[in-house]
Amino acid sequence: MADFIRNPVVALPDPNPESHFSEEELIFTEDEKARIAGWVSQYPTSDGAVMWTLWLAQEKFGFLPPEVLQLVAVELSLPYAQVYGVATFYTQYFKEKKGTFVLDVCTCFSCQFCGGYDILAYLEEKLEVKRGHTSACGRYTLQEAECLGACGSAPMMQVNNGPYAHNLTPEKIDELLEAMEAGKPLPFVSVTLPQDEDEMGGNRRTDAEAVEGYITPPRSERTQ
Amino acid sequence: MPQVIIDGKSYEFEGRPSLLQFCLDHGIELPHFCYHPSMSVPANCRQCLVDIGAPMRDRQTGEIQVDEQGEPVIQYFPKLQTSCSHIVSDGQVVHTARSSEKVKDAQRDTLEFLLINHPLDCPICDQAGHCPLQIQAYKYGPEGSRFEFRKVHKPKKVKLGPRVVLDAERCINCTRCVRFTDEISKSGQLTIIERGVKNYPMTPPGVSFDEPYSMNVIDLCPVGALTSVDFRFQARIWEMASTPSITTTNAKGSNCHLWVRDNLVLRITPRANPDVNEFWLPDEDRLAYRRFNEDRPAGPSIAGGTRAAFSSWDASLQRAAEILQSAGENAVFIASAYATVEDNWMLMQLADAVGGQVAGYIPHIDPGHGDGWLCTDDRTPNRQGCERLGIYPIDETLWRARIESGEVTALYVLEDDPVASGLCSVESLAGTEVILHYHHTTNQTLPAARVALPAAMAAETIGTFVNESGRAQRVIPAKAIKGTNRTLMMQMGLSRADRHGTPFDRWHNESHYIDCKPSWEMIPMITRALGTEINPQGPRKIMQHISETNPAFAGATHDAMGLTGIDLCLKESFQPAHLEGTH
Repeated sequence: MADFIRNPVVALPDPNPESHFSEEELIFTEDEKARIAGWVSQYPTSDGAVMWTLWLAQEKFGFLPPEVLQLVAVELSLPYAQVYGVATFYTQYFKEKKGTFVLDVCTCFSCQFCGGYDILAYLEEKLEVKRGHTSACGRYTLQEAECLGACGSAPMMQVNNGPYAHNLTPEKIDELLEAMEAGKPLPFVSVTLPQDEDEMGGNRRTDAEAVEGYITPPRSERTQ
Repeated sequence: MPQVIIDGKSYEFEGRPSLLQFCLDHGIELPHFCYHPSMSVPANCRQCLVDIGAPMRDRQTGEIQVDEQGEPVIQYFPKLQTSCSHIVSDGQVVHTARSSEKVKDAQRDTLEFLLINHPLDCPICDQAGHCPLQIQAYKYGPEGSRFEFRKVHKPKKVKLGPRVVLDAERCINCTRCVRFTDEISKSGQLTIIERGVKNYPMTPPGVSFDEPYSMNVIDLCPVGALTSVDFRFQARIWEMASTPSITTTNAKGSNCHLWVRDNLVLRITPRANPDVNEFWLPDEDRLAYRRFNEDRPAGPSIAGGTRAAFSSWDASLQRAAEILQSAGENAVFIASAYATVEDNWMLMQLADAVGGQVAGYIPHIDPGHGDGWLCTDDRTPNRQGCERLGIYPIDETLWRARIESGEVTALYVLEDDPVASGLCSVESLAGTEVILHYHHTTNQTLPAARVALPAAMAAETIGTFVNESGRAQRVIPAKAIKGTNRTLMMQMGLSRADRHGTPFDRWHNESHYIDCKPSWEMIPMITRALGTEINPQGPRKIMQHISETNPAFAGATHDAMGLTGIDLCLKESFQPAHLEGTH
């Protein structure tokens, strides 16, 4: 974003991009079609299911080039333009090929104050990749992100649109990258909520314990 | 009847009108960009904000609470509401910018936001002069901007399709164009891409915005973001005169405005008529503006042998009269579905005066061209007008044979092209004296014509066309022709530069005056040479006469038609049974 403020130029998307997938590859399997039909049935009109279906397509194809968007449009009987509009609205939908690991480093206010740009610069140096680009080896895409809603554990980043890595330090990043290289997926870490301050001894900067699943259980249901 | 109080004045209303439309209908101006009466209401421009309140009621009793003065206590919405998305209900109190500083400030601030990234290129923008953003910024906007930093640069002069150009920087994201393709034309070719400060309307990759109604988004666009490939940078709005007219490219008779500068029609835009075309016009109707300017004849001519020589009007019409006189009852007249009702009626009177026969009109049907909306299979504007006069499609086999056998010694063609339409060939017309009223020098019958008379087109004449559903609508002259015709001059708009212009005016330009005459002026000149006078003369009186004598045109006077036309009686009531379903 900082770059955009300095040089606010919006580029025109390529009007005639090359196709990345062959016709044989561009299909949804019967199983996937059934899942899409299930989502469609939840809404009065099929455009309600467009985000679910785009998500499925991104998991299947890795990213969403125009031909995949067209496939989604045909599957949902929606105008291609509408699907394209939705896909370009959300940065989490990848319109171009990304690395194996997409690192979204937050540089919004809280993270910026706590050293978000230092983290970004460290990653740039370590991975030898400029922000907004994919490394030469094709493994890492480094991106600047706006607020990801985890200001309490700034600076932070998100990996592959999924788990957050909190309270980043250079050492922690080294460990994270080693783990990712070794094929160990980043664990989901629940962020402590204000109500837990007493338990944490009033220190909200302390790392929270890892919990399984994506929902922090209420206190009453905690096992420990 | 339920009432609503707007700016202290009370109005009665029926049904569930939206507040913005209700205000516009009652002459209360509310600034707005995204609202359009025929499309859904996204309320995304935030320009039509108003303060809305309702009398406070006691929760237990349901009584309206009153203050010490006995006036009802008005409880306002905590925030300003968009009037476009608000349905009026009984007893509501509305304050617009005229009675509320809060609303005034909100509208000024909204405009300041809209103008943050809007380029200041009004001096070169096609929309300037009739731009809602420009007008509203002057009327409701701030005096300056507090956002003095580099504006966001978006793609400019992007060719969205063959007829529409996008300047994304000027776009204020009202989504009118997107809603038009989604809801009205249903092509779904446009969408808003990206988000926040980067967004603008676009077609998806590999898609060209080429639908047959694409140019409507140019009129819908409240700024200069969408412009016409043809009209871009051609003229300023204030240099042109606009004349209400109807399109003549098909049998729908969509209402339009013809925009003229220096006697050239530069563009055609739709004119709202809920009974015919609502707010829309197909691209083919808009692109027909070229036909009024290009390939127009230089003057009347009499063919001497093979080479056509330009002649005077008097000599040409005299020659036509001589040809008709010598042919007598062997003179055959071909009417035209391109010509007005008045011209075709005049032709019938001429045929009577000579003693010849009206063979019919040449149909121009293009099966599959119509789309059930504003394009029709029929490519002529006045087929039904001809049939209501009692002129029917020409029997091609019969008349082809008669022309080839040399039985027809004189053929009088009104504003049509029998050679191009395949009725006869130039060779087969060798033994026939052809008198031709024509619009364009590309007319293929021209080489066979003994007397070629340039006829005024719909943009230059006065006349009536009857569309496929039996609606009679009239045209008035949008551009001047060479020579003096008081009837035409009287109908020209009063503030027209070319009406009161004199050759001494710096802007006066005579170079594009076409030397043509309306057919209703030429035909009486021919009969006068034959010694007969046709009465009445002049389109207004002719139409008055037809409406009184022909029940198929009952009530169709020029005054009754006005600018939007009138529906005539049903087709079944005048068409002979043997012609039902012939086309």
